[in-house]
Amino acid sequence: MQPGSSASPLLLPPSTAFSPLHSPLRSRSHCNCSSPRLRRSIAKHRREVARAVTVAFAWPQMSEHFYTVASDSETTGEDKPQQSFPDVAIGIDIGTSKCSVAVWNGNQVELLKNTRNQKGMRSYVMFKDDTLSAGVTGAAARENGHEERDILSGSAIFNMKRLIGRMDTDEVVQASKSLPFLVQTLGIGVRPFIAALVNNMWRSTTPEEVLAIFLLELKALVEMHLKHPVRNAVLTIPVSFSRFQQTRIERACAMAGLHVLRLMPEPTAVALLYAQQQQQFMHDNMGSGIEKIALIFNMGAGYCDAAVAATAGGVSQIRALSGCTVGGEDILQNIMRHALPSFDSLYAGQTMDRIKSIGLLRIATQDAIHKLANQDTVEINVDLGNGHKVSKILDHSEFEQVNQAIFEKCENIINQCLIDAKLVPEDINDVILVGGCSKIPRIRSLVLGLCKKEISYKNIDALEAAVSGAALEGAIASGVTDSSGSLDLLTIQATPMNLGIRAGGDSFAAIIPRNTTVPARRDMLFTTTHDNQSEALIAVYEGEGERAEDNHLLGYFKITGIPAAPKETVEISVCMDIDASNVLRVFAGVVKPQGPAVPPFIEVRMPTLDDGHGWCGQALAKMYGKTLDLAVLPKKLQP
Amino acid sequence: MASFAATAAAAAAALLPGRCAGAPGARRGGRCAASAVALPPAPAARAQTHYEVLGVGAGASTGEIRAAYRRLAREVHPDAAAGSGNEGFIRLHAAYAALADPDERARYDRAVAVRRAAEAPPVASVGFRTRRWETDQCW
Repeated sequence: MQPGSSASPLLLPPSTAFSPLHSPLRSRSHCNCSSPRLRRSIAKHRREVARAVTVAFAWPQMSEHFYTVASDSETTGEDKPQQSFPDVAIGIDIGTSKCSVAVWNGNQVELLKNTRNQKGMRSYVMFKDDTLSAGVTGAAARENGHEERDILSGSAIFNMKRLIGRMDTDEVVQASKSLPFLVQTLGIGVRPFIAALVNNMWRSTTPEEVLAIFLLELKALVEMHLKHPVRNAVLTIPVSFSRFQQTRIERACAMAGLHVLRLMPEPTAVALLYAQQQQQFMHDNMGSGIEKIALIFNMGAGYCDAAVAATAGGVSQIRALSGCTVGGEDILQNIMRHALPSFDSLYAGQTMDRIKSIGLLRIATQDAIHKLANQDTVEINVDLGNGHKVSKILDHSEFEQVNQAIFEKCENIINQCLIDAKLVPEDINDVILVGGCSKIPRIRSLVLGLCKKEISYKNIDALEAAVSGAALEGAIASGVTDSSGSLDLLTIQATPMNLGIRAGGDSFAAIIPRNTTVPARRDMLFTTTHDNQSEALIAVYEGEGERAEDNHLLGYFKITGIPAAPKETVEISVCMDIDASNVLRVFAGVVKPQGPAVPPFIEVRMPTLDDGHGWCGQALAKMYGKTLDLAVLPKKLQP
Repeated sequence: MASFAATAAAAAAALLPGRCAGAPGARRGGRCAASAVALPPAPAARAQTHYEVLGVGAGASTGEIRAAYRRLAREVHPDAAAGSGNEGFIRLHAAYAALADPDERARYDRAVAVRRAAEAPPVASVGFRTRRWETDQCW
C-alpha cells in the first residue's frame, strides 16, 4: 500500500463547519465523514445489526429537528422522526480503560453485557488489513486470555480518552508516547499524529475516529439488546475535559450516529445515583428533607475527579467540582519506569523490539499492581528478550513512594473541592469512592482520611456508578417518568473551570468563575488601552491558569467600530452565558458611549476553534496583543 | 454576583430576542418570554427582593432558604420545566446565593436597608408587600 493511498486521517474536511449543534449529520446518512474506512465499518455494522436483530425495523432516520442544520449543508427533505420507538437516551461511560453502557428499562437502570458476558468492555480498536474491530465484542482478540497481549501489539489504539482533543504540547500526550502504538509529536500545539501497526506499516488515524468506531460497535450492541434503533445518548466525561475536548466527544458520537443529549462530568452522574438512593431511603423511612452532603471521588485509568454534592428531596446540587489528568495509567507507567529505569535508553524509536518489550512489561506490571491491592508484596518477573530481564519485588511503601506525586494531586483536588464548596470535612455525610483506582488501598485511606471518615458509602458499585447515573439522566432528559417517583430527580450542575478572556497583556480575566451554578450569565466591563482604539480582540479562554496562555483557547473574535475616544473612557461589556444544555455563548459590544454610531453587539457560540491550535493563541498575542488589547475596568461600587 | 447589574440587564435585554431565535430546537416551544413561570407576577424583576424571589420571610433560617430554593428549582430549572428559559433559574439562584451565605446575606440586608432609607416615601406603598412577609412570620 502506498502511503498516499491510505485513508485521510482527518475526518473533517477543512470546510466542515463544526460546532456540537451544527452537527454534520444529515438526515439521510448516518455519517458524512470523509474517511472511507469508517464508512466501511459503518456499513459492516449495519449489515451485522440488520442480521442480528430479528424484529424488522426501518433504519432510523436521524430526525432533523434535533439538529440545527449547518449553514453550508444542502437541505434535505423533512423526515418525520420515528416516534414508534421508545426514545430513551442510553447512558455511556467511555473509560480510558473500559467502557460500559446502560439503559433505563422501564423500572430500573440495566447495564448491558456483551457477547462475552462483560459489563465493562475494554476500550480499544484493533486495526487489521481491511477490518476494524473494537473491544465491545472483543472479536479482535484471538483468544479470550490473550486479549491484552493483542491490544499491546501495536495494532490496537487504546487510551483514546487521554488523547482526544489534546495538543502535542500536552504532557498527557507526551506520556502516551510510551504506549505500543505510534504517537508522534511536533511540540508546537497541533494535534498529535497517531497510527496503528498494520502489516508492519504504521497506518494513521485520529482519536475521534477510533472513538467513533468503538461507539458504533457499542451502539450496535445496544440495538441488538433493545431490538430497536437508538440515537440519543448521555455520556460521562472527566471534570477536567475542556470545552474543546467536549466538542471532540460530540464529534465522535455524531460520526457513530449518536446524538449527545448531555455530557455529564463523571462525579455528577454518581451524585445523581446517590440522590436517587437517598430519595428512596427517605421515602422508606419517612425522613424529612434533610440535606445530605456527599463527597464523590472518582479515579479511573486516565482521570481523577472530585465533587461535593448536596442532596435533599431528589434535588442534587453540585457545590464544587475539580479534576485532574492523573489516573491508573500514570501509576502503571511510574511502576514500569521504576521496574526498568533504563527502558528508554534500551529501546530507541518505536521498533518492533520495543513494542514487544513494552507489552510484556506492561502486562506484568499491571498484574502486579492489581495483586498488590490484596497482598503485602508482589513480584514482577518478566523476560523482555534480548537478555533484558526484570526481576523486582514491590511492596506498599515502595509503591506509594514511587507514586507520591499522584497521591498529592488527588489530595489537592479534594482539598480544592472542599474549599470551593465552603465546607469542612465534618460537614460531609458520605464519602463515595468510585472508579478502578478506588480499589487501591492508599487511595482509599487518603480520601477517607481527608474527609475524616472511617468507611466509604456502601450502596454504590465503584465500576458501575457513572454509567448508571448517565442512564438515569438519559431517562430523565428523555422525559421518562416513573410512577414510583424514582425518576423525579433534578441535578443542578456547576461549571468546573473558569471562563474568561485575555486582557491587560497576557492576563486572564475570569468572567464566569469555576463552580458557578449553571444556567448562568455573568458580565464584566472592559476598556480600551489606546487612544482612539477602534478595534479590540476578544480571545476566550477556559482554565485555572492566571495567564491566558496557561488556559485552553476556545475561540476569538474582534469588536470593530469602537467610537474614537481617549483610552480608558470607552466601556466594553463582555457577557458570558451558559444555558441548561451547557452551551456557552459570548456577547460583546460597546456600552459606553451609546448612540447610533455604536456597532451592534456580537454573539458568538463557543468553542469556535475546529482544532486545538495551541499556537493560535500565541500568534494572536504576537500579532494583536498590543494593538487590540483590552483592560479590565475596575468595578464601580454597586448601589 | 454583584457584577450582574445594570449593563448586563441592558445588554441582555437587547440580545434576548436574537438568543432565543438561535436557541437549540430541542427546547420545545422555544418560548422567549423570560420566565414568568412560578414567580409571583411583578411589574419589574427589579422590584423583587431576594426574599420575595424565594418566597421566604426576612427572618427565614438558612435551612428554610435552602428548602425553598430546592422546591422552586424544581419549578423553574430548565431541566425540570420544559420550555422555561434560563432567566427564572438564574434569578432564583442569585437570590439563593446571596441569602444562603451568612456574610453575603448580612451585606445584602444592609444594602436593602440603605436603599429603602434613601427612597423612603415610595417604600410606604411598595413596602406593604415586603411587610406582609414579615407579618407572616410566626415569631
